[in-house]
Amino acid sequence: MAGAKHSQAMFFQARAGAKVRDKVLQQALQKAKPLFVGKRAKGIAALAEDGLEFEALRLASEEIRNRVLRDLDVWLDIFEERARASGAEVLWARDGDEICDLVIDVARRHGVTKATKSKSMLSEEAHLNEALAAAGIRPVETDLGEYIVQLAGETPSHIIAPAVHKTIGEVEALFAKEHGRPVEARSSVDIPAMAREARGVLRQHFLSAEMGITGANFLIAESGTAALVTNEGNGRMVTTLPKVHVVITGIEKIVPTLQDFATLMRLLPRSATGQTISNYVSLLTGTKQPGDSDGPEKTVFILVDNGRAALLGSPYQDMLRCIRCGACMNHCPVYFSLGGHAYGWVYPGPMGSVLTPLYTGIENALDLPHASTGCNQCGVVCPVRIPLPELMRRLREEQNERGLRPWSERLALKAWAWVAGRPALYRWVARRAARYLDWLAEGSGRIRIFGLAPAWTAGRDLPVASGRTFHELYAARKRV
Amino acid sequence: MRLALYVTCLVDLMRPSIGFASLRLLEAAGCEVIVPEGQTCCGQPAWSAGNRSAAIDLARKAIAELEDYDYVVIPSGSCTDQLRNVYPLLFADDPAWGPRARALAERCFELTAFLADVLHFSAPPGEFAGQVTYHDSCKGLRALGIKQQPRQLLLQVRGLSLQEMPDCEECCGFGGAFSVKFGEVSTQIVDRKCASIASVGAAAVVGGDLGCLMNIEGRLRRRGDETTRVLHIAEVLAGGSEN
Ligand code: SF4
Repeated sequence: MAGAKHSQAMFFQARAGAKVRDKVLQQALQKAKPLFVGKRAKGIAALAEDGLEFEALRLASEEIRNRVLRDLDVWLDIFEERARASGAEVLWARDGDEICDLVIDVARRHGVTKATKSKSMLSEEAHLNEALAAAGIRPVETDLGEYIVQLAGETPSHIIAPAVHKTIGEVEALFAKEHGRPVEARSSVDIPAMAREARGVLRQHFLSAEMGITGANFLIAESGTAALVTNEGNGRMVTTLPKVHVVITGIEKIVPTLQDFATLMRLLPRSATGQTISNYVSLLTGTKQPGDSDGPEKTVFILVDNGRAALLGSPYQDMLRCIRCGACMNHCPVYFSLGGHAYGWVYPGPMGSVLTPLYTGIENALDLPHASTGCNQCGVVCPVRIPLPELMRRLREEQNERGLRPWSERLALKAWAWVAGRPALYRWVARRAARYLDWLAEGSGRIRIFGLAPAWTAGRDLPVASGRTFHELYAARKRV
Repeated sequence: MRLALYVTCLVDLMRPSIGFASLRLLEAAGCEVIVPEGQTCCGQPAWSAGNRSAAIDLARKAIAELEDYDYVVIPSGSCTDQLRNVYPLLFADDPAWGPRARALAERCFELTAFLADVLHFSAPPGEFAGQVTYHDSCKGLRALGIKQQPRQLLLQVRGLSLQEMPDCEECCGFGGAFSVKFGEVSTQIVDRKCASIASVGAAAVVGGDLGCLMNIEGRLRRRGDETTRVLHIAEVLAGGSEN
C-alpha cells in the first residue's frame, strides 16, 4: 500500500472544523439523515410482514460471514475453481497498484479505449481511474452519484450515496457546465429530469465502451457467481454491453451458497436504503454462451487482498464481516456532522474509522479511532453485528501500546489512574479541583473559558457546583 | 439488604447534589445505604482511551471494595456499563479475578433500573410542577437497555408530566474525551439536541448521566437559554434539596 496516497486520513481533526462550518454541506447533510434513518426503520419493521425477525436474521447473517472467514482460503479455492469452470478468468491482486496493472493489462489485450464503471470501492482504494486515464483509457462512472462526483473532480463521500454531500443547486451547476446548457432553477421535483439528462449522456458511453468494470456485493462460492445489487439499471448496462467485464472485489466478499446470499439479501437493501429488495439484482456467472442474447465475451475476476488477509485471526477479524450497507454511517452523529470527506479515505463513518487505520496503517489515521462518541448507534444497526465502537477502542489501545498517542495525553491518563488508585490522595486532589473550578466560575455556577479543555468551552459553558466534593460534604454530614 | 452507593467522579466533583439525591431516594425506598469510603474512579476513562493496564488496576480496586455488598447502585449508565459489562471482559481469562468480576457485575445496577426492576419502587418522594422531557443517554440505553424505567418512575412524581422530544435517543455529542478532542463537532451534535429540547418547550430536560447533562446544559446556556432546567433524574425523583 502506498502510504503517501492514504495520508489524507491524517488530517481528520483539522478538516473536521472546516466541514462543520461549511454551510452548504451542512444543508445537504441535514436533509439526508432523516431520510436514511426513516427508510431503514421502515424496511426493518417490514420484516415482520414476511414473518421474519431482525435479530434472528442478524445472527444468521453474522454466522454466514463468520463461517466464510473461518476458512476463507477454502471458499476462495472453491470460488476460483467454479468461476474458471464457467469460463471466467480469475486473477489475484495484493494491493492497489497490482489492481491497476491487471486492469490495464486486460484492457490492452482487448484494445479497450473506454471503460464504463458501476461502483466499485476497490477501484477507489486503488485509485484506478487515475491509473486508467494515465494509460490512455477513459473511465466513465455511470452510477448517478458517482457520475456527479466524477464531474466535480471529487471522491465519493458515502459508500452507497456518493454525492450525498452535494445540494441540488451544486449538481445543477455541474450539469449545466458539463452538458453545455444554461443553469436553471431546480428543486427536488426536478431530480427525475436531471437523472434523465445524465442518462442521455451516459447512454452513448454504454454503447461505445469496450470494457465494463464493477465491484460485486458478494461472490458466491458454490456457483462461481458475482452478485451485483443496484438501483439504477446501469449495472446491467456495464456488465452486459461491453465485450469485456472486469469484477474487482475484496477476498472477504465470498459467501458459500446461493441460500446464504438470499439470507444476506434480506438485510442488505433494508439496511442501506430501506428497500425490501433493490431494483436490480444481477447474478453474473461466466461469459456469454452460444444462444445467449447478451453478456460479455470475456469475464475477469480480480480478487484483492489490500490488507484484508492480515486481519484474519487478529482482534479486528470481525470487521471483515462488513457487507458495505452504509447503515453505520447513516446513523452516526459524527458522520452527519461532517460528511464522508473528512475521513480522508475511501470508507467514511464508523466502518471507515476502523477500516482506514487497518488498511492504510494505524500511524496514518491517528484521529479516526477517536472520532466517535461511543454512542453505539452504529453497532446496533449493523446487520452483521460488527462491534464498531469496541474495534475503535481496541485501535486506541494499540495506538497506546505502540506509543503513537501524544505524551501529554498518555501522561494525563496515567496520572489520573495513579491518583485514583490512592483514595486519600484522590480525595485531596478532588477537593483542590472543586475549589479551583469554583474560583474560575466566580460564583456564577459556570465557566466560560476553561484553559484545560478549550475546545469544550469554545462552544459551551462548563457548569460547576459549589466548590465542595460529594465525599467532603458526606464526611462532614456524618460527623454532625 | 446492604447496598453500596457508588458516586461517580463527575458527581463527586461537579454536582454532589446528585449523590445526595440518590442517597435520599434509596433510603426512601427502604434501603440501608452505605457509601464505601475508598471508592474513586471506575476506570472507564482509561479503558475507553485504550489504557488497559490502568483500567485493570482500577477495576481490581473497585471489585475489592464493592464485592461484599448485596447490591451496588450507580447514578450513571456509563459507569454502570463499565462495572457490569467491561469488568467481566477485562478478567475473562483470569481464574482469580474473573469469577469475582462476574459476581460483582450481576449485582451492579444503574439507579433507575435498580429502583424499578429490583425494588419495584413506585413512590418517589419528589414533586415537580410542570413538564419535563427525557434524554436517553447512549450507554444506559444501548448497553443496559434502560428505556422504560426512568419514564415509569418520572410519571409517579406528583405534578410532573412527560413530553417526549423528537430523537430522544440521539447522542448528545458528549462522549467523554470526544467532546474535549473534537469540540466543534461535539457542539454541532449537541446543537441538534438543544433544538429538539427547545421544540417541546418543557420546563426541564432530565437524564441519567451527568456527563450528557453538563454537555446539554453548557450548550443551552451558551445559546442563551437561561430557563430550561437540566436535571439528573435522581434530583427529580428525590425531591428536597438538603445535602
Ligand atoms: S460496518 Fe456494518 S453497518 Fe457499517 S457498512 Fe459494514 S455492514 Fe453496514
